[in-house]
Amino acid sequence: SSPAPELPTVSGLRKMGVNFTVSNKDTVKSSDVLFLAVKPPIIPFILEEVGPDIEARHIVVSCAAGVTISSIEKKLSAFCPTPKVIRCMTNTPVIVREGATVYATGTHADVEDGKLLEQLMASVGFCTEVEEDLIDAVTGLSGSGPAYAFTALDALADGGVKMGLPRRLAVRLGAQALLGAAKMLLESEQHPGQLKDNVCSPGGATIHALHFLESGGFRSLLINAVEASCIRTRELQHLADQEKISPAAIKKTLLDKVKLESPSLSVASASKVSLFTNKS
Amino acid sequence: GVMEAVELRVGFGGAGRMAGGLARGLLRAGKVPASSILASAPSDKNLDAWRESGCRTTHCNLEVLQESTLVFLATKPHVLPGVLQEIRPAVGPHHVVVSLVAGVTLQTLQRLLPAGTKVLRLMPNLPCVVQAGAMVFARGSGAGDGEAALLKSLLSSCGLCEEVPESYINIHTGLSGSGVAYVYLFAEALAEGAVKMGMPGGLASRIAAQTLLGAAKMMLETGEHPAKLRGDVCTPGGTTIHALHQLEKGALRATVMNAVEAATNRACDMAED
Repeated sequence: SSPAPELPTVSGLRKMGVNFTVSNKDTVKSSDVLFLAVKPPIIPFILEEVGPDIEARHIVVSCAAGVTISSIEKKLSAFCPTPKVIRCMTNTPVIVREGATVYATGTHADVEDGKLLEQLMASVGFCTEVEEDLIDAVTGLSGSGPAYAFTALDALADGGVKMGLPRRLAVRLGAQALLGAAKMLLESEQHPGQLKDNVCSPGGATIHALHFLESGGFRSLLINAVEASCIRTRELQHLADQEKISPAAIKKTLLDKVKLESPSLSVASASKVSLFTNKS
Repeated sequence: GVMEAVELRVGFGGAGRMAGGLARGLLRAGKVPASSILASAPSDKNLDAWRESGCRTTHCNLEVLQESTLVFLATKPHVLPGVLQEIRPAVGPHHVVVSLVAGVTLQTLQRLLPAGTKVLRLMPNLPCVVQAGAMVFARGSGAGDGEAALLKSLLSSCGLCEEVPESYINIHTGLSGSGVAYVYLFAEALAEGAVKMGMPGGLASRIAAQTLLGAAKMMLETGEHPAKLRGDVCTPGGTTIHALHQLEKGALRATVMNAVEAATNRACDMAED
């Protein structure tokens, strides 16, 4: 559901045959597993909106970065004594069924509930359960990770173009190189350091190139990136806990629209589009 | 065939630190009795320590050739051509000549010695002195499997000894010959860090050395990739990974690669001089 049906993602979903409604309440009533896929500052508002319709059977799954299980449980407990909450962190390659997803189960979610989510998310990539306190680190690594990879691929393609390759071919080859390397690592028992050594013949091209990467502090840049993303996630969580939402986070047009439909609510629109809008 | 250690008479032309280290290693390992070792040097300054160990000494390079079958040449590079000319008349087919002289190629050695002489070139490093050296050697055209096996068997008493193509010798200099100094630098810095955090310097230094020794021993004994061993030490979110991040920020890896490259290139340049 989304109060903004003109979103391009909505027509994409409809073409796939997904049922669509502008009413969040309708979505809740006709669902058992509920994915909340709104921006983190919007979560408190959507929980207040759908809270009254949450029943014991519902499994509420939040994909919002930095939003804790306890904050969701706290909000829902006003409406339902034992809300089943699962927090998950996934990433955009779920689109091509190569996602990386972790989840942590809340106080009232059973083992079977976790397993159900795991089954669902495993169909679109790798999925495993973790302790909730690791989820921010996961955000930094695999949540943001595809962006690091896209940046690297863009630059690798530039390198190829500089050395004479047509752009499209350079992009294709770069992507395949990373895909192949990742696949080798996942299928191998060996340490990535060993796999790297296997590519580096003495005095050859690759070791010369690697020296450049080391000189530029390639490794530390990646460590810095994961750290920065993780820390920022924690900051956002802190802001959310204090329920300080910047007005800019809520588009004015959506605000007005929601006000029209639910005069009792003070703010917020929600789109339950889980696959296409996954910005955090 | 391989000479029996008992019959082996070992000579050193030049008695400096490197020669002394090798001799000490051979003696400590009991490979050669001191009485079978003869060293020559222009002055007595270096020779006192040899005599104290029970070795024989002389000022005459020719005597070393006449008395020894296995002869190590360990002079300074600029002195070597003169020494080779001097000893050339006494060099015979029974001799095995091993040069430790930095930058002097097998080609040069063979040119200045009688045709067919069994010549090998050895690049050791300083810890040979404590039998924990890293040595590589390359054989000249006159040296065969027997000579290579002899050298390897003798020198394994001083540490790791491997035969290599001559082209690896300058790389060995950059990696391990000079490399020992990089390790001292690293050890000093480790200790300094500890001193900054409040530990006395002497204790910090001993612990730094033992840390390097222990880590190296684990690498050699487990045969595991150092990246894996590093990962084994890093508990998630712990002290080690925080420290490693600092090292990566400082581009330590690239700097070390630069050092090995610089020393290797310098060895190549000096060889051409």
